[in-house]
Amino acid sequence: MLASLKWLRELCPVEAADEEVVEALTSRGLTVDGVEARGPDRALEIDVPANRPDCLGHLGLARELSAAFGVARADPPPAATTAEEKVTSVVRVRIDEPEGCSRYTARLVRDVRIGPSPGWVAQRLEACGLRSINNVVDISNLVLLYTGNPIHFFDFDKIEEGLIRVRSAEEGERMVTLDGTEHRLTAEDLVIADARRAVALAGVMGGADSEIGEATSEVLIEAAWFQPQSVRRTARRLGLSTDASHRFERGVDPEGLPLAQELAVRWLAELAAGRPLSGMVDARREETVPGPVTLRLGQVERLLGYSPDANSIVDALRALGLHPKRLDDDRVTTSVPSWRVDLQREADLVEEVARHCGYERIPTSRVALHSPDDRSRSNALGEQSRDHLAAAGFHEALGYAMIAENEDDRFVPEGTAAAMRLTRPIAESLSVLRRSILPGLLRAADLNLRRGAPQVRLFEIGRVFLPPTQEGGFPAEPLRAGIIWCGPGRPAHWGGDAAAVDLYDVMGLVERFLASARPGVTLERGPVARAAFHPGRSLAWSAADGRLLAWGGALHPSIQRDHAQPLWMAEIDLSTLLDEPFEIPQYRPLPRLTPVTRDLALVLSAETTYASVIEVLHSIDAPAPVCFDATDRYVGQPLRDDQSSLTVRVTLSPEETTLKEVEIEAYRLELIQALAQRLGVGIRE
Amino acid sequence: MREALSRIERDFAEALTGAGSDTRAIDAVRVRFLGRKGELTSLMKQLGGLPKEERPEAGARINELKRSLQGRLERAADDARAEGQRREIEGGAVDITLPARRPWSGSLHPVTATRRELEAIFRELGFTVETGPEVEDDFHNFQALNMPQDHPARDDSDTFYLEGGLLLRTHTSPVQVRTMLERQPPIKMICPGRVYRRDLDATHLPMFHQLEALVVGERISMADLKGTLEAVWSRFFGTRATMRLRPGYFPFVEPGCEYDVSCTVCDGSGCRVCKGSGWIELGGAGMVHPAVFEASGVDPERYSGFAFGLGIDRIAMMRHGIDDLRLLIENDVRFLDQFRT
Repeated sequence: MLASLKWLRELCPVEAADEEVVEALTSRGLTVDGVEARGPDRALEIDVPANRPDCLGHLGLARELSAAFGVARADPPPAATTAEEKVTSVVRVRIDEPEGCSRYTARLVRDVRIGPSPGWVAQRLEACGLRSINNVVDISNLVLLYTGNPIHFFDFDKIEEGLIRVRSAEEGERMVTLDGTEHRLTAEDLVIADARRAVALAGVMGGADSEIGEATSEVLIEAAWFQPQSVRRTARRLGLSTDASHRFERGVDPEGLPLAQELAVRWLAELAAGRPLSGMVDARREETVPGPVTLRLGQVERLLGYSPDANSIVDALRALGLHPKRLDDDRVTTSVPSWRVDLQREADLVEEVARHCGYERIPTSRVALHSPDDRSRSNALGEQSRDHLAAAGFHEALGYAMIAENEDDRFVPEGTAAAMRLTRPIAESLSVLRRSILPGLLRAADLNLRRGAPQVRLFEIGRVFLPPTQEGGFPAEPLRAGIIWCGPGRPAHWGGDAAAVDLYDVMGLVERFLASARPGVTLERGPVARAAFHPGRSLAWSAADGRLLAWGGALHPSIQRDHAQPLWMAEIDLSTLLDEPFEIPQYRPLPRLTPVTRDLALVLSAETTYASVIEVLHSIDAPAPVCFDATDRYVGQPLRDDQSSLTVRVTLSPEETTLKEVEIEAYRLELIQALAQRLGVGIRE
Repeated sequence: MREALSRIERDFAEALTGAGSDTRAIDAVRVRFLGRKGELTSLMKQLGGLPKEERPEAGARINELKRSLQGRLERAADDARAEGQRREIEGGAVDITLPARRPWSGSLHPVTATRRELEAIFRELGFTVETGPEVEDDFHNFQALNMPQDHPARDDSDTFYLEGGLLLRTHTSPVQVRTMLERQPPIKMICPGRVYRRDLDATHLPMFHQLEALVVGERISMADLKGTLEAVWSRFFGTRATMRLRPGYFPFVEPGCEYDVSCTVCDGSGCRVCKGSGWIELGGAGMVHPAVFEASGVDPERYSGFAFGLGIDRIAMMRHGIDDLRLLIENDVRFLDQFRT
């Protein structure tokens, strides 16, 4: 809120320099974010915390200055002279909803003349960020800025039968507020009504047809306490946030209403030639005194790590307007001023002591707690994944959890539950929770290609959100790694051209990742059940137990079409991978004998897969532990179009005895024979 | 005999010169003169044909020559090897100013790097690292944190609600609640993670990163809070940091405060990083509100505790001198590549 420094000094005549006043407010939790000269005055921009509605008026700020500097506040202005006529004989107030309104006061001023405000009013309002409208409107603003209590003026001639009712709106009741908007109300809304219709939205805004106008002469003044929750609900539902609702939502001072009335009456008499009636209609439940709150003195030390002596604690509370009484050596009990809605329990009083004595007095100590059986539950696999992928040459990206509706439809298996929707998204493109990491990476890759990047390698580690399977449940939030790759498959170098990334690069990256995260994991390759991928150039990896660990490959041509360069993507389900057993590698004795290798140069027909070749090779008993590896593949002349040549290296690792040449040769021939018989594979001699 | 020896020596010298630094030619010279059928070897075999009294002297002379030839052969061979090696080295020299064949360098996002740096400091101080869901319910995100329905402080964090009533957490504090509901003190934890608020402008992203710390035990005070803040930020900035606490309001702490660290760049004299104030505002803190303890199953009479929070994104920006928040989420590789690992 904007406060006038001049006004504050009038209410609490401190002699300290402006800078000291600013510093005092800031150090007491009322942070002054800025000081600006406004004519002869200076405007303080004060960040008032939500629990201090009393400081949304100059009076509350003056109370803080009074406590800070030990200077008594100035007396309130004397009461205005009033007419004989009593307001209680003209105005009736009925509270139908005491929950929503615990106190409603009304006063009446006759013969008011609307006109311009004097210069001092305009200046004061300007310092507080408001413009002068006319004397009557300005007065309601002045009272609000002075006390923090919003008041409302009705044109009393428009109030039927002189009756003010505080009631719930009828379902569907219509009302036009003074900003000209028509609202359709519900039974949750609290309204001020006369004998016939609603004339104001309680605590939010007045009605258009009881508004003060040029012709107004009878002003009915409302000062009331409305329930914060009720005001907040109505204000939010109707999208009406006003200076009044802001204060009522936080809690105004119910005992401050007479002062607000008195100020309003006084200024209406002084500045608008009004003739106030005597007395005040005061409809209320019985007075509720907040508190008392008891403070055990030991709690000050317990929470702050130090404690002023008992007398200083009592003095601090007294300076803040509380009325502390020593119960015994250890305890102080105190009533709480009606304007301090935030002081409810012991800890609140400890903060008051700390605030008054200065936070800088809190000493420094170092806690040494041990909870030996507690282990971090953070996801170490996520961190390993970041390191692994960064070391493989990929840049870590950050993506929103929100994406556009349908954006990830083809990146999840058909039949996946619909993405969870935000009720009020900030943009169309951020309206549902992602079920796959990949759409965000796709966007990022496009952005980079548009900006001329020759190659893009990005990854993101983050959660995806799979809708709850039962009503009222939480979504599953599996951690995923997403990868996007376009450009060369390996770094370019003057020593040779780097080929473009292909499926085997992606496979290598993913398989190495999986194997390093879970050594000993057995991977099964299979097709991808996600429509975003090219069916002939993609694959999925499952663990031996059948659980899906990862999927990746080229984009489906129908998606690829919209992107500037061929894009390869993969997604790894880290949460599932985390559940796979982590096998600590176990030592095997090193072979004492050197391995023997033989190359098989095979000619394969198009339909013969590498896996089928290896399967046949493995089916033959080997004279020693054996492994097979493709070392060369060739397509072209002199082979036929439907043929390829494949070199398979056979490595035999004898453990006990050296293999004889004849044994090796016999094994080799057996392999060739089996391939020829079962797969029709030829040998290229 | 003497003549024969002089001739052999002359022939040998000529042959060795002819062999130059060719090791095979040098070996041929050795075979020619000292081999089994070599010229000097043959001469030795003829010793038997000499009169008995001449034999010792002739034998001695032959042996002397043999040793001399052997020595010269060895030196020639050594020279030849050295010469060969020199030529090999000369021929194998490459241009060391050409670019290397380097594997790609990827990078960690500056937010990740900063988060890890902070996590490492907290781990060193004995904190555990906890995580929790990003989709939360009203209880964990608000009610248990002393923000009942219609609490005005809910304005400060305009919330993304999901259809059905759940919400995207607006802070990582629900992880504190979940941890306390799960186990009794002592608790000494941090919870880093993504949080969401309905905000998008030059200084706000709808998704950002927080790290909160919570310490609960018997007799934990604000002095411990101050000491912990000092330990964390001194380590982070690599120099002794001074903390300043200012009263501040957060519904889940009481007493509450905001905390600042003395600017380590200018030592408090005012600079660009601290915007001239000498202090860097880092976040909110305070003693856990008894209502939060009550909602989380912790007895506020037995235990007390402090909590504080910080924004990882802002600290990452400060740490790397990043002046535009949007760079953090744009994923431009020219930006990311500046943080190579």
